[in-house]
Amino acid sequence: MLKLRRKKARDDVKKGVSQWAVGWMRFKKHKAGLLGLGMIAVFLVIALLHNVIAPYPGRPEFGSFQPLYDGEAGMPPSEKHPFGTTVMGTDVFSEVIHGSVYTLYVAFTVTIITTILTVSVGITAGYLGKYVDETLMRVSEIFLVFPSTLLILVFARIFQLRVTEPYWNVFGMNIPIGLTIIVLIVSIFGWAANARVIRGEVLKIKEYEYIQAAKSLGASSRWIMVRHILPNILPQIIVISTLTMATAVLVEAGVSFLGFGDPNTVTWGRLLQESFNDLSTTWWAEIFPGLAVFFTTLAFNLVGDGLSDALNPRLRE
Amino acid sequence: MDLLKIENLKTYFFTEAGVVKAVDDVSFSVKAGATLGLVGESGSGKSVTTQSVLRIVPRPGKIVGGQILFEGEDVLLKTEKEMKTFRGRNVSLIFQDPTTSLNPLFTIGDQLADIVIEHNDVKKSEALEHVITTLRRVHLPDQEEAVYNYPHQFSGGMKQRICIARALLLNPQLLFADEPTSNLDVTIQAQIITLLKELQEEIGMTLVMITHDMGVVADMCKWVVVFYAGNIMEIGSIDQIFEDPHPYTEALLKAVPRLDQTRRLVSIPGTIPNLIDIPSGCRFHPRCQYTIDACKNIRPPVEDVGDGHFVSCHRWRELHKGG
Repeated sequence: MLKLRRKKARDDVKKGVSQWAVGWMRFKKHKAGLLGLGMIAVFLVIALLHNVIAPYPGRPEFGSFQPLYDGEAGMPPSEKHPFGTTVMGTDVFSEVIHGSVYTLYVAFTVTIITTILTVSVGITAGYLGKYVDETLMRVSEIFLVFPSTLLILVFARIFQLRVTEPYWNVFGMNIPIGLTIIVLIVSIFGWAANARVIRGEVLKIKEYEYIQAAKSLGASSRWIMVRHILPNILPQIIVISTLTMATAVLVEAGVSFLGFGDPNTVTWGRLLQESFNDLSTTWWAEIFPGLAVFFTTLAFNLVGDGLSDALNPRLRE
Repeated sequence: MDLLKIENLKTYFFTEAGVVKAVDDVSFSVKAGATLGLVGESGSGKSVTTQSVLRIVPRPGKIVGGQILFEGEDVLLKTEKEMKTFRGRNVSLIFQDPTTSLNPLFTIGDQLADIVIEHNDVKKSEALEHVITTLRRVHLPDQEEAVYNYPHQFSGGMKQRICIARALLLNPQLLFADEPTSNLDVTIQAQIITLLKELQEEIGMTLVMITHDMGVVADMCKWVVVFYAGNIMEIGSIDQIFEDPHPYTEALLKAVPRLDQTRRLVSIPGTIPNLIDIPSGCRFHPRCQYTIDACKNIRPPVEDVGDGHFVSCHRWRELHKGG
């Protein structure tokens, strides 16, 4: 046994273990992180199979309130309607299931866009320095000092009024236009703080001698940014993006709850808003979408914490 | 033939506190195949001179004047594209701290092969083959396995060997070694010095050693350039600077502990001057034991005193040649 273990150890040395392998090994021991990852996996499956899982189909078209059940309005949770029905007579369980698609769409698109903005601004400002840095940091300050929530609401309303088509048909998929506009607005207001974090990391890394060494061997600025700096800040980027997903879900739910969301998509925030006035009678129509938002945000946060512990172990103490 | 000729080089750092004249009017040349030592205290401008040659002076530093002629061509007039091939192929650099000069995220093979691919446009497997051959030249054991390992799996001495291999990858004509041994322990230092000597003899590469260790200089170099506060104090052969040293070199030599002498160590009084507010006249005058009035007001020119020995001192003749 001992011999075997020693042989294994020797094989490890022979190959060399990458930081990613080490990080994954640590993450596997992080119970909360794994739980979060499991929850996200479940959400993904639900979103992919939403038409199969939901007992009733999604709302058909454009603000139509055609009932999706067989005539029972405002019913408490039962075997037939696990999450009950709303006063309008829709099945809460089905609506929540269908809503997960939009939630994940928002989470991932907002994260992709903000991460690209965050990373490109952070690396460019940190590495190039001088007036590039000055300009980009002043711009980021402008985004930081404005009350972003209010601006998101204002812009959301402006665009909400201009949307005439409910969907774009891209490769056979219906992409809700109103929701995409909200995604863009949230992304544009979401990069500034993290870009400054990334810039700080870059400022630290660019002082290392291997950057000087790369320069002394004829590497271009682009090469250094992509091959040396980007891989070194990737752990931070991954953690930041996971946490951004949680924020994106919350912000979108908030915007929809306040009635500034896309009128053509039934997101969880929209469900919260629709049954808010009947909270005292049909509380289930409010609680279940709320729990869905809560658990999604929780899952992304757990994974973010797990990744942060696994990839930046020094931050733990 | 002078491989590298630096003339009146001025590299200043424009900081908020003022202009730091890190290298101020420095001229010297390196002959092809020679080993030259650059000595001086920390902050005397040795490293900045090297960085100026490669044009990688960190911000807020800027080369404000002078010429750097490599094989007769002015490096400062080259375009950024020409510099890309100049760095690494013509002139290459070994760094002080091997622990931070390798990227921890990539295997040795990956990061060294990258350089070969950048410059030569070859396949990864060919590049890796070249890396292994180069690692063999610096006597890194188990080269074939080493390329799949990460920097943290090597000791300091091994890492420095890898760094030397990296500097040799593109067969440069001139190699700068910026205090290559100061972060290693003594036995490893000796090994690295032996390796550099061996490589130098083997391929006749021109080597410029930057160091503050007079022992290393005496061991490796035929010619020495002595820096002080951004100026050159003395240029000469090892024999010349040991026998008829400039007052600063003399003080520097006295500050080196020696096993064959039982005298007390003599330190140089005072501290290196602030490079923003440089002493007038000779920069060494506030700390020099031979200072006269002229030293305080007139900057002594770098004078040829015969046989390739250059000294910047008002009193050198009088001290060594009896006036």
